[in-house]
Amino acid sequence: MNKIKSFFSSLIKKDSTKTVVTSLWCAMLGLILGFFILLIINPSNAAYGMTSVLGNYLIFSSPADKLNYFGQTLAKTAPLIAMSLSILVSYKAGLFNLGASGQYSIAVLVICLLGAGANWPWYIVMIIAMIAAAIWSALTGLLKAFFNVNEVISGIMLNWIALYLVNGILSNAGESIWDGAHSESVAITSASNSFIPSIGLDKLFAGNSIVGLGMILILIVVIIIFILLKKTTVGYELKATGLNSDAARYAGISKVKSILIATAISGALAGLAASLSLQNGFTSWRLSSVPPEIGFQGISSAFLGGLHPIGIIFSSYFIMHITEGGSMITDLGFSPETASIMTSVIIYLSGFVFFIKEVMRKYEIKNELNMLSRNKENKV
Amino acid sequence: MKENYAIEMLGITKRFGNILANDHIDIRLQKGHILALCGENGAGKSTIMSILFGLYTPDEGVIKKEGKVVKITNPNDATSLNIGMVHQHFKLVDTFTVLQNIILGDETLKEFKGDNINFVKKSLNYLNKKIFKIIDYKKAREDINKIINQYDLQVDLDKKIKDISVEMQQKVEIIKMLYRKNDILIFDEPTAVLTEQEIQDFLKVMNNLKKEGKSIIFISHKLNEVFEVSDEITVIRKGQYIDTLKTSETTKEEISALMVGRKLKEFNGKSKKTPKEEVLRVEHLTMIDPFSKKKVVNDVSFNVRKGEIVTLAGIDGNGQQEVIYGITGIKKAHEGTILLDKKDISSYSIREKIKAGISHIPEDRHKHGLILDYSIYENTVLDRYYEKEFSKCFFLNEKNIKKYADELIDKYDVRSSGDGNTIVRSMSGGNQQKIIVGREIERNQDLLIAVQPTRGLDIGAIEGIHNLLLKQREEDKAILLVSLELDQVFALSDRILVMYEGEIVGEFTPDNVNKETLGLYMSGAKKDKVNAIKEGINE
Repeated sequence: MNKIKSFFSSLIKKDSTKTVVTSLWCAMLGLILGFFILLIINPSNAAYGMTSVLGNYLIFSSPADKLNYFGQTLAKTAPLIAMSLSILVSYKAGLFNLGASGQYSIAVLVICLLGAGANWPWYIVMIIAMIAAAIWSALTGLLKAFFNVNEVISGIMLNWIALYLVNGILSNAGESIWDGAHSESVAITSASNSFIPSIGLDKLFAGNSIVGLGMILILIVVIIIFILLKKTTVGYELKATGLNSDAARYAGISKVKSILIATAISGALAGLAASLSLQNGFTSWRLSSVPPEIGFQGISSAFLGGLHPIGIIFSSYFIMHITEGGSMITDLGFSPETASIMTSVIIYLSGFVFFIKEVMRKYEIKNELNMLSRNKENKV
Repeated sequence: MKENYAIEMLGITKRFGNILANDHIDIRLQKGHILALCGENGAGKSTIMSILFGLYTPDEGVIKKEGKVVKITNPNDATSLNIGMVHQHFKLVDTFTVLQNIILGDETLKEFKGDNINFVKKSLNYLNKKIFKIIDYKKAREDINKIINQYDLQVDLDKKIKDISVEMQQKVEIIKMLYRKNDILIFDEPTAVLTEQEIQDFLKVMNNLKKEGKSIIFISHKLNEVFEVSDEITVIRKGQYIDTLKTSETTKEEISALMVGRKLKEFNGKSKKTPKEEVLRVEHLTMIDPFSKKKVVNDVSFNVRKGEIVTLAGIDGNGQQEVIYGITGIKKAHEGTILLDKKDISSYSIREKIKAGISHIPEDRHKHGLILDYSIYENTVLDRYYEKEFSKCFFLNEKNIKKYADELIDKYDVRSSGDGNTIVRSMSGGNQQKIIVGREIERNQDLLIAVQPTRGLDIGAIEGIHNLLLKQREEDKAILLVSLELDQVFALSDRILVMYEGEIVGEFTPDNVNKETLGLYMSGAKKDKVNAIKEGINE
């Protein structure tokens, strides 16, 4: 009995366990608050609304529909994972990548021109999109490294520049790229060369063609990033710069190099996110006056995932599950805005991981102090 | 005759945890006098002054103002007793003008005068006092100009703080105190930031203040200026009250001896050794502080040879740290050449210097020495993870790192709650330091730089590190040590270079100098012209 107890207490004391627990707490907190919002807006349908948010594809009765929508959620999770990794890599190097949306936009531009426009093979489009986004992101890194411009500020400004650049170029592009009637870019279909192939995975998900190689690719990228951060000298340098830039300097690690590498990698990952969504055909670029939302969802997902590549897989799935489920409650008499308020509340509360962790830490310290003073009294 | 005291602090005791910062200290400041408070670093000078200014409350003891017991629990109490303090680091708002800074927190509000109906006038004044708080800059300016003329403190009231010199900022701080009608003034190391000429002007200002009947407490280790202006000198050492002497009846030698303590622990652990060929040669090193534009290191030349420990001694902040920054490349040198094994490494990057053969135990283990959130394993290779032994292509060779780190943990007796995966942040300071010392010694370079390697450690750990350094000396390494503690300086050094205000002002061997003389050099009371480059003997 005692053995089990000590096993659990040591498990609880482990930092990674703590992160998982806090992430679960955050998700719970978000769900509860989301439920309250539904209650306020439409009390009679709230319970059912919540079920469909949580249930997502499970609320369908036919197994084929279930599989189809499950596949859809999975496929849409892939770009979010890429985006979260983008936030993660720069965060590890001590940078906050608020410019991910802009990097995403630049990649979108490349994909529309080379994919929908020129019909290039999917992998070439993907690689060029990633390189373009990496260069765009490295601009932030250059500004930071050489002029000490705060990366948050330059990131946000580059978001807007990228947004209007892409809007401007795409809306004036030819018919094969821009669908003027709907003011959105022409979607890449499964018939196109630039479509990420499904390699037979679609058959597992009731013929949903957007499920495919992308999902496998992203898992490989997660593993690459995991290894990069954990096992390589580059990862060692990035993390050292992020954790203590003075000590990194003392050890002869070049801050400029670390910043440039980190921003370029995170840009490439943001570009990958664009590729995984547009080259799977489930999104296209709409004329918009706000930077793409996914850049900010990535932040929540990265933090909810405990800033760990493996954790990010689960947190991204959770967020996509809620988002997809949320999009269904419009059928229950909730406006689309309610659906997005509800899901954003859940998502953004999920970003509270550090806050909750801090609260838990304080509670723990208090307990320990109590125990120490009790031990002292016993000894006396 | 009964003496007329402005302030008496009697039997003041203050503990921080187990550390006794002040142990029954008595300070008596006579009205209209200047009392100098002298003592080494960490003697407790700042603590006792912070108590007087209400930043700390004492555990024991009483404070009397003009014979009456007063209670000072926060700076507001001190202000209402007309006690003012100029801190070592000024408390000014950079983007405000001089005038705004002076009145900040004690603004003169506009009063409505004239032939208006009494009721309107009264209510307007009331509202202004309670709600609008319109400031009467005109009146404030007049008041301040009066002070400026009375004490001869010329400053431009309309300039912003960020646009004026440090000397001017100090004047602003003084005017601030006078504007608040303070009559007891505390200066915490006021001359540390000033140049020689500015110090002379400042001492004049102090005399002016004294003439106008202000009572002043003046913290300094610089004995020249202490003897120039003070009436009495109180010496404290290691938190204890030593003595108070009339300046006219004592000498610099006596005060210096009281400051450092006469007791000298003999140390016999060192063998006789003849230094061999030169490893490090620093020529005409000059470093300029980017903010104050002051020369923090001024034309410093010295060398270190195989088998000797050369110590840069001096009071904290006299440029020793900057010399090391200049050699290791952490800060850019303004001028000068650095030769390592006869090769000019002045223009090398930090990494290149490390590779060329510099081991460096930095002063601040948390800032520079360790990445606290890395494990012991990761920290033991902080400056050599890229070496062939520890990495292959882009990958860290974890097996070798672990093997090496485990050996180091064993050899240097690094203790933690777990194995080498323990996060360094969770370890004690002594064990953290052992990781750094072990890491730098094991790199087996010709030159070992150790900056205050025993800072904050207990006696056992200090002895361990002393023995390690002496062993390195036995193995014919060249060791450059920076130390603030005289016991350590005497125990380890073959040559002692005393630094004062960025210059080397004295060179000694432990046999031809005593602590008292060293104290005189450290406080700038004595200066030599020094060329600290000694020829090595080639075998």
